[in-house]
Amino acid sequence: MPDYVIEMLNITKEFPGVIANDDITLKLKKNEIHALLGENGAGKSTLMSVLFGLYQPEKGTIKKNGEIVHIKNPNDANALGIGMVHQHFMLVDVFTVLENIILGVEPNKLGFLKKNEAREKVVALSKKYGLMVDPDAYVKDITVGMQQRVEILKMLYRENEILIFDEPTAVLTPQEIDELMNIMRNLAKEGKSILFITHKLNEIMAVADRVTVLRKGKYVATINVKDATKEKLSKMMVGRSVNFNIEKEPSNPKEVVLEARNLVIKSATSHKMAVNNVSFDVHRGEIVCIAGIDGNGQTELVYGVTGLEDIHSGSLILDGHDITHCTIRDRSKLGMSHIAEDRHKHGLILDYSLEENLVLQRYWQPEFQKNGFIKKGAVRAYAERLIKKFDIRSGQGSIAAVRSMSGGNQQKAIVAREIDKKHELLVAVQPTRGLDIGAIEYIHKQLIIERDKGYGVLLISLELDEVMDLPDRILVIYEGKIVGELDPKKTTFQELGLYMSGAKRDPKYDVQFTEGGAK
Amino acid sequence: MKIKAFFATCHATIKKFFVNLWPNIKNLKTKRGFNSILASLFSIIIGILVGLILMLIIKPKDAFYGLSMMMSGGLSSVSNIFQVLYTTAPLMMTGLAVGFAFKTGLFNIGAAGQYTVGAFCAIFGAIILKMPWYVDILLAALGGAVWGAIPGIFKALRNVNEVITSIMFNWIGLFLVDLIIANTPKMLSTFYGGADQSRTVDPVAVNLSSKLPSLGMERLSPYMNVGIFIAIFLAIVMYIVLSKTTFGYELKACGYNKESSKYAGINAKRNIILSMSISGALAGIGGALTYLAGTSTMQVTKSISPIGFNGIPVALLGTSNPIGIIFSALFIAYIQIGGNAMQPEFATEVIDIVISVIIYLSAFSLVFKQLIDRYLLDRKHKKDARDLLNGPTANGTPPEPVEAEIVKEGAPK
Amino acid sequence: MNIFGDLLSSMIVFAVPLILVALGAMFSERSGTINIALEGIMIIGGLVASLIFKFLTVQSGPLMGTPIWGLPSQLCVLIGIIGAAIAGGIYSFFLAFASIRLKADQTIGGTALNIMAPALAIVITWAIQGQGQTAIYTPSWVPLATAPMDANFFERVFLKSSYLTTPICVLVIVASWVIIYKTKFGLRLRSCGENPAAADSVGINVYKMRYTGVMISGALAGIGGIAFTLAAGSGFASTVAGYGFLALAVMIFGNWQPLKIVLAALLFAFFKSLSGMASSIPFLPSFEGVKESLYIYLMIPYIVTMIILALTSKKSRAPKAEGIPYDKSSR
Repeated sequence: MPDYVIEMLNITKEFPGVIANDDITLKLKKNEIHALLGENGAGKSTLMSVLFGLYQPEKGTIKKNGEIVHIKNPNDANALGIGMVHQHFMLVDVFTVLENIILGVEPNKLGFLKKNEAREKVVALSKKYGLMVDPDAYVKDITVGMQQRVEILKMLYRENEILIFDEPTAVLTPQEIDELMNIMRNLAKEGKSILFITHKLNEIMAVADRVTVLRKGKYVATINVKDATKEKLSKMMVGRSVNFNIEKEPSNPKEVVLEARNLVIKSATSHKMAVNNVSFDVHRGEIVCIAGIDGNGQTELVYGVTGLEDIHSGSLILDGHDITHCTIRDRSKLGMSHIAEDRHKHGLILDYSLEENLVLQRYWQPEFQKNGFIKKGAVRAYAERLIKKFDIRSGQGSIAAVRSMSGGNQQKAIVAREIDKKHELLVAVQPTRGLDIGAIEYIHKQLIIERDKGYGVLLISLELDEVMDLPDRILVIYEGKIVGELDPKKTTFQELGLYMSGAKRDPKYDVQFTEGGAK
Repeated sequence: MKIKAFFATCHATIKKFFVNLWPNIKNLKTKRGFNSILASLFSIIIGILVGLILMLIIKPKDAFYGLSMMMSGGLSSVSNIFQVLYTTAPLMMTGLAVGFAFKTGLFNIGAAGQYTVGAFCAIFGAIILKMPWYVDILLAALGGAVWGAIPGIFKALRNVNEVITSIMFNWIGLFLVDLIIANTPKMLSTFYGGADQSRTVDPVAVNLSSKLPSLGMERLSPYMNVGIFIAIFLAIVMYIVLSKTTFGYELKACGYNKESSKYAGINAKRNIILSMSISGALAGIGGALTYLAGTSTMQVTKSISPIGFNGIPVALLGTSNPIGIIFSALFIAYIQIGGNAMQPEFATEVIDIVISVIIYLSAFSLVFKQLIDRYLLDRKHKKDARDLLNGPTANGTPPEPVEAEIVKEGAPK
Repeated sequence: MNIFGDLLSSMIVFAVPLILVALGAMFSERSGTINIALEGIMIIGGLVASLIFKFLTVQSGPLMGTPIWGLPSQLCVLIGIIGAAIAGGIYSFFLAFASIRLKADQTIGGTALNIMAPALAIVITWAIQGQGQTAIYTPSWVPLATAPMDANFFERVFLKSSYLTTPICVLVIVASWVIIYKTKFGLRLRSCGENPAAADSVGINVYKMRYTGVMISGALAGIGGIAFTLAAGSGFASTVAGYGFLALAVMIFGNWQPLKIVLAALLFAFFKSLSGMASSIPFLPSFEGVKESLYIYLMIPYIVTMIILALTSKKSRAPKAEGIPYDKSSR
């Protein structure tokens, strides 16, 4: 009888309108690294949240070392030695690393904090497991990699034996991912048992011992990684064979549609320039991707290109028109469409209906209003046309409140709106974030159709698979500068990672386009 | 040309409203607005109950007298009925002011100051500039608009919370108006032989053209004039602007999500200022309607008139919908007149307590509404799921599980 | 020089309620809830304490006007202050309940309480004292000390208008600083206002923390209410003249930090005192020919507030999660 340190038996967890976990059984062996694989919405995060005490299951039991336990909140989980590193870090920006680690288990005397003994313990743990951190640095000032190490130290400080990692590599470079894989192997060797949630097959193949696959809330299978192949795993994950390579014709770029020269854009949070002398072109008929680790200026670059932020210096020319200081409305009129990064913050107005959102970029056009009065009939007809063409699903059709739609359909609505609108350049930022494979395939197809129609597509993405498969050219951004141009057909993930982390840079990019420019 | 088109559309909308009235009422149960009305009614009932309990605690034997006065005082005499209508007009205006701001995402607690400044402008125009009533109303709107723009500007340009700015300017407005009146002897009643140095003279007495026309209704009551109709007309205009125009679409978008509206090319800063100005103008007109009726004089005082603040419960009860505000203003005015009739057994402030309970509960009512929505939506989903399971399939295999279409609070992404 | 002494003493007396309420607001906001109801809570605190003072005063007979049972006067003042704190805490519970449990719009609940408080005060006062008698006078035994008519500078500063609330205020300042920065409770409280999800994930009960934050602000605002009544001089009149909101401005200006809040409060109190004494201070303009020039001075604290807010709001660093109700399930 194998030694299971944790058993989750027949777990069912429901939310209003959806069964997130449907009779799932998961068993974790001691000292193993066990991966939990599934698409978005498969129920992986929910299952782990149940284990960590954030949710209570409707049915099912949890056993630790063979005995039934009840985990009603994170404190209970902690007491049982279970710790979790969340996908979105649970850190307080304005606290120091030390304060974040001790929060909730503060050493104190009569309520007054005693930080020194904590500091000693943290430094010792840090050395033992090779997790370098600065205890007195403020979390808002440290790198994402260090933030993740802080999260891991939180668990080790509490002497957790069972460690749960939720999509830990989403924010890391290929090199940092390798480091994390090493850290996980060390932790397992030192006696910890690890569960990690992912939808990335490479990582599972690299570091896991066994993998459990979930699909749409249900348990599919648990297999040993040495007996698995990527094809087998992905078929279990989506229920059908997945084509790993996007089908597309080679691109046929024509004249330049967007010309960016010496762009300098300020950062909202620090004194440095977020975008520091960036120049590039996008041609009609090509997809150009700006790749980089989150936080290296691509967000500000997109804001500058689309008008959400001001361009400090430099020039931007769209289809022959100088739009450097144009308003967002004017840029839209001159032919820019923008699929925004954050569909809730920018892309949609959640309290408006679907049809009201579909005309968000066009309500002022003569087609939709007369003398200031909205032509409701025209709006309705347009919405229905888009719903049909792009297969946007909602509870009540075009009058559905967008808030009630699923993430995938919300994204489809945004994509529909921006593509259908007349444009010369399509700016797509993280267009497939949080979507399942079906939706991702669909949107990729649409972007290629736009490219083949002769428009330019500027893609910003953090998904390495997407960066390597979809665009025709990759420009890597690092600390606000373009450091290299790569051909996706010829480069490798490793090379891409080196550029993204600043370890390699193409010297020609420092020389080109800098007419009297600043470094 | 545009104005003609505007009025044409107004006419068309009003016609459509009445044509659709009955089918709309029949559909009421399924419309989302129905839950809001239920919730408002619920708040009112509880509020009145609390008032009753309070009266029972203070003076048990007079409590039911007090309750009956509160509920029926407004109808107890013909003159009372007209006084209700007269009180409703400025209340409706401040309610519209607050409600309009709410709809655009702003909390205009400065309606009181805008009301005061607007009232002052109207009286000034009447007494000093000797202008007729319609000019005075415009002056009041202008004064209120300026006073409303100020918190808007602070918020748009310096990101100062509009609640604090509005409150500061409520006081600044009050003292400024006091200062000017005290130093403009022609406005004071003492100039005209009156005894009270702290009151203005009745503007109507000095300038007959400033009196709101009564269209022959003064035979019914000295309180009756065109003011209430102006208020109702403006409510309808605001309703049309908010729901049928691109301007309203933009304002609401800014209120719901400033970032998205920026993304859509809408000038959020400009809209915040415009919203607050319009809101202020509405409150200012309320001031004009009070003081141009020939029934009131303005007082030089250190305390802020409550009419501006009472715009808040009016707006909340009416769920910020201009049409709803028409009714909620009537209701609040009604119980206020009832409250006057309660004296001397009970302080009229009992009514304020009832009103504040209603406001407090309206905060809950949003939650009740969500609960009701969720419950109804849940039932629909269980029904859909059942239908799917029970539905026939061609070859006997169970149908594909439906993608979760509704993502609620609590469901993972 | 004497006038300067008067000014200083008046400044302290007006600063005390501002400091108390602003520090209270800081506790609430640092835990994540905006407390718009401070104005109403102050009124309730002032009401309860004034009523306690009234009941603790012998109403008739040879000992009329002195505390009952021969109790030491400052003990009675302390009882009144504690009553104000408890009343404030209880009243703020209603705001906490609406905002935290029901996740309602925090400004609505607060506004309701602000409208209810003066109305409740008048109704209760009317019921107890009779129709029309809406002011509750402060008994003469309440002040800590009195200054003689020809007092010198120091006597004016320390003896004139001195109340128990002043030393209590100093204690509160010190305690606030220590609690927020040096204790386990303070660390946890701040985490709830910055990143409640993070606090929840380490097992902190965010709801309980926020309730505590709001109720501390209620207790302090209650004390601030009676401090204001005493500062105003003539007794409780069901109003605190916008001090509840001024305190929020002071808190913002003080960047949510105790020591800066004290400085900001002193600044505003300075202007307010100036307005009260304008006529007696020779080098201030007395606006010859302007009637009722006191209104100019009355406006000044509010105008100064606005100028300062306009200049500092862009850089201010509010607790990241303030005003956003915490929903456990929205992870």
